[in-house]
Amino acid sequence: MVVLLALASLVILYGFDAYRASSDVLNLILVLPLIAIVLVLCLVQFLMELRDAKDEVPARESVGDVAPVIGLFATYVLTLQWLGFDIGTMLFVAAFLWLQGERRWPWLIGYSISLSFGLAWFFSKMLPYPMPMLILQSAY
Amino acid sequence: MIDWPSLFDAMSLLFTSIDPWLVVIPGILIGLIFGAIPGLQISMAMAIFLPMTLYMDFMQAMLFLTAIFTGGSFGGSIPAVLMNIPGTSSAIATAFDGYPMSRKGKHNTALGIALGASCIGVLVGYSILLLLIGPISTMVLKIGPTEMAAVILWGITLIGSLSSGSLLKGVISGLIGLLIGTIGYSEVGVSRGTMGSIYLLDGVPAIPAMIGMFAASELFRLTKTKYLVEDSAARKVSVRAVFSGFLKAARYPWVLLRGSLIGVFVGAVPGVGSSVANLLSYIITKKRDPDPDSFGKGNAAGVVASEAANSTSEAGSMATLLALGIPGGGATAVMLGAFAMHNITGGPQFIREQTDIVYAIILANFGQAFLLIALGLIFIPILANVVKVPMTYLVPSVLSMAVFGAFGLTGNLSGPITVLVFSVVGWLFRRFDYSVPAAVIGILLGGIAEESIIYSYQISGGQWSYILERPITLVILILLFLSLFGGKLHGVLTRRARR
Repeated sequence: MVVLLALASLVILYGFDAYRASSDVLNLILVLPLIAIVLVLCLVQFLMELRDAKDEVPARESVGDVAPVIGLFATYVLTLQWLGFDIGTMLFVAAFLWLQGERRWPWLIGYSISLSFGLAWFFSKMLPYPMPMLILQSAY
Repeated sequence: MIDWPSLFDAMSLLFTSIDPWLVVIPGILIGLIFGAIPGLQISMAMAIFLPMTLYMDFMQAMLFLTAIFTGGSFGGSIPAVLMNIPGTSSAIATAFDGYPMSRKGKHNTALGIALGASCIGVLVGYSILLLLIGPISTMVLKIGPTEMAAVILWGITLIGSLSSGSLLKGVISGLIGLLIGTIGYSEVGVSRGTMGSIYLLDGVPAIPAMIGMFAASELFRLTKTKYLVEDSAARKVSVRAVFSGFLKAARYPWVLLRGSLIGVFVGAVPGVGSSVANLLSYIITKKRDPDPDSFGKGNAAGVVASEAANSTSEAGSMATLLALGIPGGGATAVMLGAFAMHNITGGPQFIREQTDIVYAIILANFGQAFLLIALGLIFIPILANVVKVPMTYLVPSVLSMAVFGAFGLTGNLSGPITVLVFSVVGWLFRRFDYSVPAAVIGILLGGIAEESIIYSYQISGGQWSYILERPITLVILILLFLSLFGGKLHGVLTRRARR
């Protein structure tokens, strides 16, 4: 139900933002009807979930298992601008391996360096625009 | 329908010298590699290698570029089957059953089936093109924005059948996807939902969002798994299993034929063709199957349906390019560039005056399909070894590749950030039983849906009666109505007949 409320709130916020940007029919021709339908469907789903609230809640995976991985991935992506794709990827892979229980240091260091620098080198050669890098040089 | 003298001229163009074929094998290999690496797209490969075609004659250049196209069309299915990352938007439906097959240890068979369906699809698609290039191009001219809008609405109503859980949640997911697809600059020149970010002015990058929702969110859930295939005995790579999978594709002749027809005709529609064709073929196959519940859990027919459609949509988009000079997507746009580099203009005049070259391009694709079989059977067993990599190593590797690929698609950090945001959204959707595929399809089609509705509104002057003047739109709307209420209508009629 929290998810439904969150979805409905975000949809309403988007609707207000679209209306504030322009009330022209061309701006709202698809957005407004879609928002109205989504809100009605969310309400129906909400009532259905309320009706079935006494039923058994399905077993879901633990947030605790996934949260560290999501946190690590978020840190990796959000620091790319400063760490660059070469060093950022190396640190992410090494940290991930360590988090997952890899304690063989030659493997951990060797794999993270070879993967990150291999990928960074390949993509920097293939892409027609500069990539943020700390050590490697981007081709453009 | 076939201009026989031109067909014989085309054969002599192709088979009197080995020169045109020298570029085909490198082309297929380039396509396979670019298709198999998420984030590197077929159009990107073609653009990178386009300057090389300056040193080729027009025939050789077209063979080289269509070889990249053919290799890439199949290459996209490899990460879809092995890692749940559709290499291209036209391989989305391949992941629905290909990936569950891999998780069950049937990765060799799944890849073989994908190869078989792709190759047969290319053969069927180009055969249809050989016979019907004229009628297909005429049909494309009759597809206007009203028809496009109706097709998209129909697609969204079919989303319910894609959802394994609640139909309502499936539709909500699809509609929210459509709304996300409208974020950015609107047709009236104002920005919506961008939260002040300049990176969102062009909208949410659809492919990075797709990678985030499909792949990254799934990888988060797999961190506690030791291997992609849990059963160690099933983890082996077998050339024999790949080959038997390849042959197995032929056991679904109707699925192949239906997928191929959908691929050619829907693929010919500029803009949405290949992305929609594979989904439509998958949905119809699922609906007509005696055991629709097995879809999404590793049904081979799902892989055949998707691959047959996406490989033939290449033929469809080539029909639009050759007959009308209209590129249907990025890859055919690059081909149009090759046309220009050789001072050739596609369109009715080109077909009329250079029919032999058009036929030669079509015939060459038959040859490419056979070469793809050979190259695919060599390379698939090598690539299938990914199931032997422990998840501890596979997850960070694929996440990193997704981030690099997303940067490659956008040219700035908005791509990787989109992957991050949508990986979390995808994980939440999966956790609370909302449909990830429906949302992804919505994101891909949102912008086109809005554009089509606006054009229809402008053409019709806001008059609803305009729809009555569009027979194709009416047919699609009837199909839409039947897909929504057909089951209930059938039930009511059956009950009345029993009374």
